Amino acid sequence: MPVIATVTGATGFLGRRLVHSLLEENDLIVRCLLRESSDTDALYENVPVIARERIEIHRGELNDKKFVEEHFANSDVVYHLAAALGGSASTMFLNTVIPTRQLLETAARVNVGRFVLISSMGVYGTQTVKRWGTLDESTPVDPMPEKRDPYTFSKVRQETVAQELSESLGLPLVIVRPGVIYGPGRSAVTSRVGLPLGPMVIRMGGGQQLPYTFVENCAEGIKLAGLTPDMSGEIFNLVDDDLPTGKRILRLMKQQGQRIRTLWIPRGAIGPLSRIYEWYSNWSEGQLPPVLTRHKCEAMWKPLRYSNAKAKHKLNWKPKISTEDGLQQTIAG
Amino acid sequence: MPEPTHKLKIALLGCGQIADAHLSQIARIDSVEVVAVCDVHEDLAYQAAARFNVPKTYTNLDRMISEVRPDVVHITTPAHTHADLSIKLLNAGCHVYVEKPFTLDATESASVLAAVEFSNRSICVGHDQLFDPMWLRCRDWIQRGLIGKVGHIESILGYPIAGNFGALVAANPNHSVRKLPGGLFQNTISHPLYRITDLMDEDQPKIIGGWHTQPEYDFPTEMQLSFQGRTQSASLTFSTHIPPQRITRVYGSKGSLEIDIDAQTIRLNKIAKLPGAFAKLEVSWQHLRNASWNFANNCWRFAKADIHYFAGMKGLFETFYGSIQNGTDPPIPPHQIHRVTQLMDRIFDHCREQDGTSRINNVSTTPNQEVSKCL
Ligand SMILES: NC(=O)c1ccc[n+]([C@@H]2O[C@H](COP(=O)([O-])OP(=O)(O)OC[C@H]3O[C@@H](n4cnc5c(N)ncnc54)[C@H](OP(=O)(O)O)[C@@H]3O)[C@@H](O)[C@H]2O)c1
Ligand SMILES: NC(=O)c1ccc[n+]([C@@H]2O[C@H](COP(=O)([O-])OP(=O)(O)OC[C@H]3O[C@@H](n4cnc5c(N)ncnc54)[C@H](O)[C@@H]3O)[C@@H](O)[C@H]2O)c1
Repeated sequence: MPVIATVTGATGFLGRRLVHSLLEENDLIVRCLLRESSDTDALYENVPVIARERIEIHRGELNDKKFVEEHFANSDVVYHLAAALGGSASTMFLNTVIPTRQLLETAARVNVGRFVLISSMGVYGTQTVKRWGTLDESTPVDPMPEKRDPYTFSKVRQETVAQELSESLGLPLVIVRPGVIYGPGRSAVTSRVGLPLGPMVIRMGGGQQLPYTFVENCAEGIKLAGLTPDMSGEIFNLVDDDLPTGKRILRLMKQQGQRIRTLWIPRGAIGPLSRIYEWYSNWSEGQLPPVLTRHKCEAMWKPLRYSNAKAKHKLNWKPKISTEDGLQQTIAG
Repeated sequence: MPEPTHKLKIALLGCGQIADAHLSQIARIDSVEVVAVCDVHEDLAYQAAARFNVPKTYTNLDRMISEVRPDVVHITTPAHTHADLSIKLLNAGCHVYVEKPFTLDATESASVLAAVEFSNRSICVGHDQLFDPMWLRCRDWIQRGLIGKVGHIESILGYPIAGNFGALVAANPNHSVRKLPGGLFQNTISHPLYRITDLMDEDQPKIIGGWHTQPEYDFPTEMQLSFQGRTQSASLTFSTHIPPQRITRVYGSKGSLEIDIDAQTIRLNKIAKLPGAFAKLEVSWQHLRNASWNFANNCWRFAKADIHYFAGMKGLFETFYGSIQNGTDPPIPPHQIHRVTQLMDRIFDHCREQDGTSRINNVSTTPNQEVSKCL
């Protein structure tokens, strides 16, 4: 019997790479649950015709219990990637947390073998980690996620809901927390590097490591989290080796002829500036929204080291594409 | 009868997009406190409560009412739920603030307003732009006679369909907004419409114009209407071809005003007094003075931290709460609420007639005599 791996969010930036990675396994069928409006062009790109036969496409809404139940049935593993990456807090909760709740309930009902939830490394609270200390799976999740951005808040809640339901329903759950995923089609200059201000990037610090993972490396790690035996209840961080710094990314982009204007805020100034901004935001009752607070700045730009030892050890995962190559490919587009 | 002057207990029902604006603006008002939020989805209630420090969350309205006994409930749920929820809350003894559009049609509006009478509670509809600082200034300048008698009002709403909400509605044929009697417009034209009715004396002017469906969509996306009264006229434009903007131009016998709620500016154009070529200098000079005034005014407001996107909402909330605490009339009189709803019914009926499409709901467009009497 072939293994059936069901994927939500298969048309996304990460999802389609996961599908490609799963197709490298023989005797495995990838079942994709898509919305009516989802575009499958990129999903099929570079997939050999023979492998295409092992992709099943089913269209419907994730909040349609019947639809989900029908296609979760016989699934050995469900990879749940679908999530909102932008919008207001309520939109993110509506598209991320609420479907997760329903999917887990359905997965338990039809006895899915394993549910792999794609969370995010952003869920960690960095308060307990010293500067230049190591963040790994033992680091606690942010105890005040509501003070972070709506995306992170929704991912923390998504994890909490998944863990509670997995426990109460007896559904085997594996949580994967990728770092920032980059690759062709998605810029390597993210908010971890700095903040966009018109045509400029305000580089925040710049010497600190960034928790990055190249999209194909990440997809491979996620695949293994679903297929490696006896992983129920585990949590894995996915970040690459030789992590880049913001300075390195921007330098590389300039070397490759990209024009990018930056304004540098030294690391030492981030704390005091965020304090002033937060005070002003409170005092002005939100005339300037609280986008820069001490809590957010700590979580984003505190100098830390990020460990991928657990995924390497337990999943036998190895980031195949080096950071140097990954960045080159990304910058080249 | 005035209410006791304890902090009013506020609860909010429906923790979606606009709930954030309500909760952030209520937090700026000292005389009240938010005691609970409720949503059919526990996760949505949870996120709102966590971000705005609300002590209690509910998924069941009856439980919320009986446990926290709120003085005022804000209804921020989709339009089709407004009437039933308002009636239920009024009957339970709560004052109600309901987001626009007030109800789906005038029949529902009549029932809600009858419940207001019956329950002796107050109701307020989310016509918040009437309390925006620029709108208040516009009213003040009109009252001071700066533009003379108002003869024409032009109200514009730019609403790119690719925006957050428009895109959702366009992508989903089953989106609840598509099922409203006035479709997308039911959810969106309240604001530009009440900016007209606020200055137009005639309750139910003649309607000319209609809506239009762009070829790439399967529901009407544009609207262009003209309202003709005996002594005043108005026009309403809803366009997806222009960036988001909320602009009103008010033309009077002595000049005109342009109110830009997004830019927080108000431009006064007086009819020139000087003759011939001198008039051109006079008008440009006026524009320069006016621009300087707007610049200085906004600098001063920025310095005072007085620039807030939902400032009108805060103003309306405060006035509504004040009316409850002091036992005075609510800020938006019931007959004005009903009038806008009736006008919306007539607009959608008229557009359908022009379009040759049939009604989705059986909407009454003649003023409901019984309710009109009790308003
Ligand atoms: N990108 C990162 O840096 C990063 C980092 C850590 C974790 N993650 C996580 O990785 C996952 C995938 O991210 P991504 O970067 O690939 O995002 P993406 O490119 O935006 O893809 C999101 C996918 O989810 C689907 N989706 C969104 N809302 C949905 C809904 N309500 N119902 C059904 N499908 C829905 C989208 O379908 P359509 O094609 O129909 O739009 C798309 O396939 C997410 O869970 C994200 O939180 C991402
Ligand atoms: N004043 C403004 O500028 C403005 C802007 C946007 C929306 N609105 C209006 O606000 C209202 C809500 O719009 P939105 O965009 O926030 O919608 P939304 O869909 O984002 O939120 C509505 C919320 O209500 C909840 N809900 C639905 N029925 C419920 C019930 N019976 N009990 C409890 N909760 C329930 C839903 O779960 C959802 O969370 C609409 O009438 C809309 O026209 C006003």
